[in-house]
Amino acid sequence: MMKKILMMLSLFTLVLAACSSKEEGKEKPTKLVVSTWGFADDFFRPEVYEPFEKEHNVEIVVDSGNNADRLNKVRQANNDVDVIYLSDYYAQQGIDEGLFEKVDHSKIPNIDKIYDKAKAPNGADFGPAYTIAQFGIAYNPDEVSKPITSWKDLWSKDLKGKITIPSITSTTGPMFLDAASKVSGSEEFNEDKAFAQMKQIMPNTVKEYGQTSEFVNMFSQGEIAAGPIMEMYFGDLQEAVPNAKFISPKEGGYAVMNTVNIVKASDQKELAGEFMNYILSKEVQEKSAKAKVDSPVNTEVKLSKTEAKGLTYGDNVINSLRVLDMKFVNEESKQWIDRWNRELTH
Amino acid sequence: MKKRYLYLLLLPGLLFLTIFMIIPILLTIGTTFFTENGFSIQGYLDFFKDRYFIEILLTTLRVSLFTTIICILLGFPAAYYISKLKQRKKAIMLLLTIFPLLTSPVVRSFSWMVIIGKNGVVNKMLMGMGLIEQPLDILYTPTAIIIGLVHLFLPLIIVTLVGVMENIETDLLKAAESLGASRLAVFSKVIIPLSVPGLVIGSILVFVGSFTAYTTPALLGGKQRVISTFLYQNAITLNEWQVASIVATIMIAVTVLIISIMNGLAKKLNPKG
Repeated sequence: MMKKILMMLSLFTLVLAACSSKEEGKEKPTKLVVSTWGFADDFFRPEVYEPFEKEHNVEIVVDSGNNADRLNKVRQANNDVDVIYLSDYYAQQGIDEGLFEKVDHSKIPNIDKIYDKAKAPNGADFGPAYTIAQFGIAYNPDEVSKPITSWKDLWSKDLKGKITIPSITSTTGPMFLDAASKVSGSEEFNEDKAFAQMKQIMPNTVKEYGQTSEFVNMFSQGEIAAGPIMEMYFGDLQEAVPNAKFISPKEGGYAVMNTVNIVKASDQKELAGEFMNYILSKEVQEKSAKAKVDSPVNTEVKLSKTEAKGLTYGDNVINSLRVLDMKFVNEESKQWIDRWNRELTH
Repeated sequence: MKKRYLYLLLLPGLLFLTIFMIIPILLTIGTTFFTENGFSIQGYLDFFKDRYFIEILLTTLRVSLFTTIICILLGFPAAYYISKLKQRKKAIMLLLTIFPLLTSPVVRSFSWMVIIGKNGVVNKMLMGMGLIEQPLDILYTPTAIIIGLVHLFLPLIIVTLVGVMENIETDLLKAAESLGASRLAVFSKVIIPLSVPGLVIGSILVFVGSFTAYTTPALLGGKQRVISTFLYQNAITLNEWQVASIVATIMIAVTVLIISIMNGLAKKLNPKG
């Protein structure tokens, strides 16, 4: 009997151990808590954080996770985040909910040196974008019958069961919806036409992706041949599929802006402001561009052709990108998500 | 210690469950009945009038049901075989059985992606043998979810069944045989009825587990949603905690309903058990 109880017990702990997947530890109280995605940490730690730590005598603690999870943590106020990196879509949600401190742009001198587009993606009172990524199309030329050049090509019958699209709840979801509206022939954004158009792309879609890593996986496993993706992840695709191509669709790619904001509850606002100014500096922007981590927004950064490969770089490119009005997107997103769920996902 | 004080032993566990499980669950359920205008069940009415939600619920139930049936079909013979082994071999086999539980669901789901994908082992093999010309679409369909869930929950049903089958007296089987029962009759008239309690517990574990599983459907499923991914979307991405709580309450209710149905069935099948 005892033996059996022991066995059941150990089995139970095993099951428990198997079930507890995502555990997050509590961070200790420190100086500057930076909430970010957590990719390329081996670059940011030595090249970006450490010099700042030395100069200002602070310890930077990183809280990593995807946009939604990290914004939720700030919402629930259960961590002491000071600075938060978010895509413009999620930053707008935080702003509308009053979670972020207003930023006095005159106190961030480096803002003057960045592209106009990047200065105030969520309004003049809030944080700038420190990088702009292009949202375009990647495809595998060996798997498609003719080269893809436009958003419209993704609707082609040849791609049946061969593409993935971003989920409406991800940053690029609304952009793809806007592209669908363009493909439907509407000059201005038209919700009904966009959804009607989206319905037609569903036979081509194997799965929606919520995280770019899912796209990379499906692409490298040959589950998909094409799909809309941010240019900054194209390197990962090429590693798996050397022939892969990235294009700016002829109707125009979209600007995905990753912003940085100061959390209202922070007790290190001044330092947070310094940090914001620091990551916009030519020095940091150049380093992250050369390491191919982030495309630069600081106009003083000059890159050679090889250095710029895989980055969204240059006045022409940046100026050609379409920008969604995030305030509008955020107001409509609940409705879009509901329609997306009902009309497209079954 | 007198027998009537024995119940004190329950206290620590009970206290823990009350604080960390019962109270939070009651709070979750409680909030779903209150809106700004006071008590209301409108939230639930809206849900059950919503064809989209019903469809998700049915998909989830269907997937869980298939998973349970497949687990029973695969688990029953395996458990019977294991229960007949000698002590040492049995221990090894049980260890092997629970081995899949040692890897995380994420890792397991990724392995399945490699196996059942378009260029996966299964499709490559079938195409190599000339059985199919186009790769089969398995990954990102409900079938993929079922495969992943069966892999995840089969150990649970085997382990519970072995526990019950061990206790079937060999004398009973011998008696049945000596009274002229064929092997098939022994199996269907003696072994199966006596295994019903294990079958019920195992099925409940598998069914409820499949019904609430998140990782496997999120990774292996396609465009179709199941109830747990729907709940996750509402709570985490949309910050709609009210809707998420209603979904959670519906999940609890369905779980309780399923458990009582299975218990009722068990009583019918095995009235003395």
